[in-house]
Amino acid sequence: MCEISRRGFMVGCSAAIAGLAGSRFNTLAFAQTPGEQEVMLVLFLRGGMDGLSLVAPIAGSDRGYYEAARPALQIPATGPNAALPLTAQFGLHPAAAPLQELYQDNKLSIVVAAGSTEPNRSHFESMEFMELGTPGVRTTPTGWLTRHLQSSENLPDTLIMPSLAMGGLQQASFRGDRQTINLRNPGNFALNTGPWRWRDAQRTALRKLYEADSSLLHVTGLQALDAVDVIGLFVTDDYTPANGAVYPSGGFGDHLQVIAQMIKLQIGLHVATLDLGGWDTHANQDGHLPGLLTELSQGLHALYTDLNGSGADDHTQRLTAVVQSEFGRRFEENSDDGTDHGHGNVMMVLSGSATGGIRGVWPGLAPGQLFQGDDLAVTTDYRQVLSEILIRRLGNNKLGVVFPGYTNYAPLGVVAGPDLAPDYKGGPGSTIFSDGFESGDTSAWKG
Amino acid sequence: MEAKAHALEKPVAGERPVPRSVRRIFGVPTMRPSRPAAPSADPPAPRPPAITPPVAVIALNRLGFGQAPGDIAAFNALAATDAQRLQIWVDQQLQPGAIDDSVADARIAASGYTTLGKPLTQLWADHAAPSGLSYRERIRPADETTLATFVRAVYSKRQLLEVMADFWHNHFSVYAWERYEAATWVHYDRDVIRANALGNFRTMLGAVAKSTPMLFYLDNWLNSEDGPNENYPRELMELHTLGDENYFGAVPRNQVPTDALGIQSGFVDEDVFAVTRCLTGWSIDGDPWWRPRDGNGTYFYRADWHDASAKNVLGHQLPAGQPAEKDGEDVLDILASHPGTARFVCRKLCRRLVGDFPPESLVDAAAQVFRTQWQAPDQIAQVIRTIALSSEFSSTWGQKVKRPFDIAVSAMRAGGADFPFIDGDSDTNSFDWRFYNTGHYPFDWHPPNGYPDFREAWVSSSPRVLSWRLTNWLIDVEDPNDIYRLNAHAQTHVWIRSANDLADYWIDRILGRPMSAQDRQEIVDFMAQGVNPSFDLPLDSDSDLRDRLQTMVGLIFLSPDFLWR
Repeated sequence: MCEISRRGFMVGCSAAIAGLAGSRFNTLAFAQTPGEQEVMLVLFLRGGMDGLSLVAPIAGSDRGYYEAARPALQIPATGPNAALPLTAQFGLHPAAAPLQELYQDNKLSIVVAAGSTEPNRSHFESMEFMELGTPGVRTTPTGWLTRHLQSSENLPDTLIMPSLAMGGLQQASFRGDRQTINLRNPGNFALNTGPWRWRDAQRTALRKLYEADSSLLHVTGLQALDAVDVIGLFVTDDYTPANGAVYPSGGFGDHLQVIAQMIKLQIGLHVATLDLGGWDTHANQDGHLPGLLTELSQGLHALYTDLNGSGADDHTQRLTAVVQSEFGRRFEENSDDGTDHGHGNVMMVLSGSATGGIRGVWPGLAPGQLFQGDDLAVTTDYRQVLSEILIRRLGNNKLGVVFPGYTNYAPLGVVAGPDLAPDYKGGPGSTIFSDGFESGDTSAWKG
Repeated sequence: MEAKAHALEKPVAGERPVPRSVRRIFGVPTMRPSRPAAPSADPPAPRPPAITPPVAVIALNRLGFGQAPGDIAAFNALAATDAQRLQIWVDQQLQPGAIDDSVADARIAASGYTTLGKPLTQLWADHAAPSGLSYRERIRPADETTLATFVRAVYSKRQLLEVMADFWHNHFSVYAWERYEAATWVHYDRDVIRANALGNFRTMLGAVAKSTPMLFYLDNWLNSEDGPNENYPRELMELHTLGDENYFGAVPRNQVPTDALGIQSGFVDEDVFAVTRCLTGWSIDGDPWWRPRDGNGTYFYRADWHDASAKNVLGHQLPAGQPAEKDGEDVLDILASHPGTARFVCRKLCRRLVGDFPPESLVDAAAQVFRTQWQAPDQIAQVIRTIALSSEFSSTWGQKVKRPFDIAVSAMRAGGADFPFIDGDSDTNSFDWRFYNTGHYPFDWHPPNGYPDFREAWVSSSPRVLSWRLTNWLIDVEDPNDIYRLNAHAQTHVWIRSANDLADYWIDRILGRPMSAQDRQEIVDFMAQGVNPSFDLPLDSDSDLRDRLQTMVGLIFLSPDFLWR
């Protein structure tokens, strides 16, 4: 018998799924509850992206402070390599030109001076705090996306692939999750090595070994076997993006294409994560940043173009991509033509359901306005942006579970969607903090 | 008590208070209490495996990369009791120079490497300085170090040294595949990491600080009074010494408590700024602004770049105008002798050698040795001995899982594989590419914090599937004479021929312990394929049966039992 569920996608039903692979999975994977067909893509820029170069002040007194603090690295307000105007106050780095079009179409909302409430200039702590969703607490056993998946009431148990983590390792935002498929390269994500004559028999025996118990290794091993089946069935090497979309070459563009493919297949992808690294520009920032911004901007533009169709082929309305980094960089450049670790930063939200515009409160760049006299201050808690996406797009108002300790939510207006009253219940001590391994015979556990 | 509390609240001259606006924005004070060093909410421990292996297997798999043929018997022959065996074995391993390692040495000698013996200046002259070098020549020192790392992990009898080299490479992690780092990688691996892997932490810290790869990787070669660069100083404190558990964030120093000894218990950004100034001028020979390759690639102190003003590092007052390099050396002394460093480094060691969330009692015991012996030449060996001979070490199993490197190496060891790691060899190239895809390639972690050492990081589907794929390739790859490089048939005694016996022999060989009855039956059934498992199989005359045996060995490598540490 073929049983399809979120916990273990498939139990001996590869053939049945293969039969369905040609058609869409709408009836199988979806009911018609609000939020359920939405896809949230969380893109993390690792290393501390210099938001003051991506979205630079181009006018007013802040422009003067900016030019004084960044004699070598400033983005010109006029001239051949000038910032591309977004508003009278802000301009976009010229290497991020593909984002200007999305912004002008109100498909890209930009939040200025966003970041963590826990001032911290450590990459690793800052990333961990953000991905666990608990600023200041790094021992939280589950990531914020794990808790979102656990607390969503509108996700049917029949989704083939509710979540996908692109990259060599699974992001901390999915910590403790046992359903997410973690994938680096679909081209070699297959068990097709070993003496060919005995592969199938080995595979059958392997599944039985992993079905025999419920330890961490057993549960995750079964998940890996399921993931191989799912990816093998659904991901093709010869994917052709729609609408002439051109993804940047390299891992980031490849990962975006896999995600686009999954979104179009409608096999229930609900949350996806991917990373773009290399932003820790302590030296020679102009040698690194433009290339990274081009890769980022072309990638986001290609994804949107690829998903942009009419009628049933328009997937942009159900896509919400949020771009964040662990912190911004020091306002004042260093003498190595680089910037050190700072505080406030830009967040971006790309969606067919975006409202567009510059959002958040700009704290200013005057000496007295800087955080500790050094950095752009944080005026928007990053959790506020993510909470708005959770509520308005994904229909999950369980903020107390997803972001325990966070209470003063109000929408910034980065995306359109129905407002729900936030539910702040849950948090430490509640069962949602489990990672699913407490049940059963606990007497045998160590540690 | 009163005076102390008062002193804590009083702003120190020159301290910048947290702006009121920030407090208002979040409606909460920005100061946070000292976080407990011990995780207060550890993820629940996974259900451990049902069968705990003998101490020999625990030692060989956590103080080494798994047992090679004969290792368990040799361990058990050392003495009459497990405790005695473990002590003798650990003490042998802590004296690697006294262990005959001719097998691994001969393999390395036969592999045709050309860079492993070159001193730093020669590496620089041959692989960094010349114009028009091919990419392959530029990275050859890193390439050959990677291959030699696999050779040693698989074939060296100095297994603990290999485990510790891996540990310190990740503790002082540098991404090797950049121009100057790759060219000097032999120096980093040989003279900085391995030379100190069982020695003294302070000595290693100083060697790292002045090493060419680290100076380039974290930009300290550009750190000057006019252009302070915080990259290395921050990671020196956060990753190499005090650790993130002793980082109090971007708050004023007066919010950091002092410990019972009156020592500032952790660091804040002001300490990062001060340490940055202490390390100004710690640079590289040659013209740093134009062509560093015109120099000889060695550490060079630029007195004219040094910020000689007074500094406050973790409450220690360093006077203005100290002699050359003394500010920086003082910083390394302060950090290496700090109790926070002892606990942070020892917790990481316990995590590597015992379990993901080691008991605080064990961390305390190790940290006590680390701190009191901080100037001893064999400080690290003493700490490891404390951990390895603890009751917690021998009684813990299954709190860690193998990472892809552990999986590949331990499979080759258990399987008695005869595998070449020779630059240009097609099987080596194939292995290299397949291993790269697992996401755990040596010296290839881009950020400075090293590969994660928590089970949670390695149980997701990408590393798991790509490791499975690799081990299944290892049991199928043949040498130019069409002989399996991991040849199960050749290593199976002629009177072991029934499915029952074949399964039992290879389960014991690979795991060093029995499987559950149910799992064993799966292995037997796979090998028998419907034949009575007590009947001898005509292995010697049937190549298809030999393929089946290879695949059975691969199945054990793919099993959950093989993945526990």
